[in-house]
Amino acid sequence: MIPAVALKQIEVSGSARPDWAALARRTRVRGMAGQIALAAFLAIVSLPIILPYFWMVVISFTARTGGVSADVLWTACAVIVPAVLLYSLVHLVVFSPGTRLAAGVGLTVVALALLAWLVGSRLHIDNYRFLWRANLVEEIRRKATAGGQFPSVWTAFTNSLALALSQTAVIVTVASLAGYYVSRFAFRGRALFLHGMLVAHAFPAMTLIIPIFLTLYWLHLLDTILGVMLVLTAIELPFYVFVMKGFFDSVPWEIEMSAMTDGATRRQAFVLVVLPQVRVGLIAVAVFAFIRAWEEYIFVRTMLIENKNWVMSLYLYWVADDVMGVDYGIVAAVSIFYVLPSLLLYVFCQKYLTQMTIGGIRG
Amino acid sequence: MARIELRNLRKDWPGVTAVDGINLRVDDGSFVALLGPSGCGKSTTLFMLAGIYSPSDGEILFDGARVNEVEARDRNIGIVFQSYALYPHMTAAENIGFPLRFQGLEKAEADHRVAEAAALVQVDQLLQRRPAQLSGGQQQRVALARALVKRPRLLLLDEPLSNLDAALRLTMRSEIRRLQRHLGITTILVTHDQIEATTMADRVVVMNRGRIEQEATAEDTYRRPRSLFVAGFIGAPPINLVPALAAGDRVTAGEVGLRASRPVTGEVVVGVRPEHLRLAASGVHGRVAAIEPMGREVLLALDGPLGRIHLLIAVGAGMPAEGAQVHVDFDPADTLLFDRSTSLRIEDVTLTPDAVVAV
Repeated sequence: MIPAVALKQIEVSGSARPDWAALARRTRVRGMAGQIALAAFLAIVSLPIILPYFWMVVISFTARTGGVSADVLWTACAVIVPAVLLYSLVHLVVFSPGTRLAAGVGLTVVALALLAWLVGSRLHIDNYRFLWRANLVEEIRRKATAGGQFPSVWTAFTNSLALALSQTAVIVTVASLAGYYVSRFAFRGRALFLHGMLVAHAFPAMTLIIPIFLTLYWLHLLDTILGVMLVLTAIELPFYVFVMKGFFDSVPWEIEMSAMTDGATRRQAFVLVVLPQVRVGLIAVAVFAFIRAWEEYIFVRTMLIENKNWVMSLYLYWVADDVMGVDYGIVAAVSIFYVLPSLLLYVFCQKYLTQMTIGGIRG
Repeated sequence: MARIELRNLRKDWPGVTAVDGINLRVDDGSFVALLGPSGCGKSTTLFMLAGIYSPSDGEILFDGARVNEVEARDRNIGIVFQSYALYPHMTAAENIGFPLRFQGLEKAEADHRVAEAAALVQVDQLLQRRPAQLSGGQQQRVALARALVKRPRLLLLDEPLSNLDAALRLTMRSEIRRLQRHLGITTILVTHDQIEATTMADRVVVMNRGRIEQEATAEDTYRRPRSLFVAGFIGAPPINLVPALAAGDRVTAGEVGLRASRPVTGEVVVGVRPEHLRLAASGVHGRVAAIEPMGREVLLALDGPLGRIHLLIAVGAGMPAEGAQVHVDFDPADTLLFDRSTSLRIEDVTLTPDAVVAV
């Protein structure tokens, strides 16, 4: 019971009527100012990321053997930056989606026309000739360089693909089964197992590089794609097991119980009912595992030696090593070719990748 | 359909005994409710029946045959979970048809059975939707159809109505009852809601701390509760329980004196339901501490020498104001007498008025 005396003291303070219109205006102004500040901040911090990539694209399409000049870059920037600013302005002032779209298309056409007129004559695809000519580097340097003959880029591409796909397949299979087991079953040493995996993940794998090198040598797996794949998978797995555990944790237990009373075996319940619930997690893990394997450098650099075993990162490294200072264009073109698969995967699977962190946090 | 029997059924978890040796018979085609507060072991019992948990001790018999070791999928049981546990990636039709996948039926036959089950619970218009596109009540119906489609020998319902709003709960209550009667299927309902239990089931099994407190008809659990726990759990608003002292044929609680039909000794508890108390010119006195309108009736909370007492009176003239001093009276024949040490009702004693000491 609240004493009557206390009740009397609690009264609405300030009996003056508030100015609702002014309060509403203040909220609107604050909202818009916040939006502008946020957009400006994001634009500025993204510049150091976007600019190098953009420059790489520009170089790969304009540079010729002998050097690189930045004037195409600046000309392009001089066209694109005002166009983007103009479009942002339109966005702030105009609210109808139709008009916004029209403005966007119009500005794009104008910018493209300007670019074609200003730098169009300097664009060429000569730097991409590595795609069909294997001994490119020797043509440029006129002698065999480190690694002897350069392999075709497609050899490296196939090796990279084999490495990334096999690693993805193993990781998705093992991480989903292990994640399910850790999520659902109580077993002796479960806590220790989970802690152990966390520690394993926190441990810098690079420190193991010499023992791993020796182990692979003794197992006759040195300088094989299989050997590198096994090493990378082992190092990466704990993280993915954790991510999958998080996804399985969020699948209600009752669904499985229901499936089993409906006549399914435990395995059927897992395949028919549980796995479809973690589809997003499987895709996220697959994409992430693929990209990690695709971009791997240190371990492949250490454990793959012969040029027939090169992967894309090694191919890029040796190209850069051999022609740097002479032909930036070709390095940029190889870089673009190397980045493209990861980029496409990111673009198409972005929504799954953002879900992965959610699953991970739940775990 | 099946006759179910539990013999000394026990479930121990590390450090806890969830079900502490229960015995129960459920007749073929009957509807039994397991009623109790959370943690009383009713859901554990249900999951043991379904074959999801295996009993630590005791036996489960279906039609007299022990099924302890029979796997869940071989028991042919339909179960509706509190959360419905529909498979989110399947349409309503696929959900309902899921149990038939394991029975090797021909597609036409399976489709026919799905349509039949859907029609039974009136979801035949919603078969192509996914669970996320269905309302709570519709999900419930789909779950029910999925449980019934395999023509189970036993239907288990785990708090099936607790996620529905009040109006829907009323509809589904009578609908489930109708279905159960119509199909004649042995059904066990688990609930913490006494209204659900008493309105739907033929027999109510009140559970507490892993044991069965009473197994009786709904009316008997209300009129003749076996223990203090059942008396307190059944009936809303809850019964007034007043500690009293018995000596010879006299039972005294504060200012109230009652005469017992045979000598009783020791500490007892007298129970009077709020609906059996009435305002009177004399009797137990108290101050009106709170007034809660409940529609047709009003619940009054009185503070007096016997502690807080609730009484239910019809809306009408002569309603006391908050803070007023009032007197209440009752017919001693309506009271229940409990032995305080055993918590059990003293069954063969009736009380008659002795004297109400005016203060």
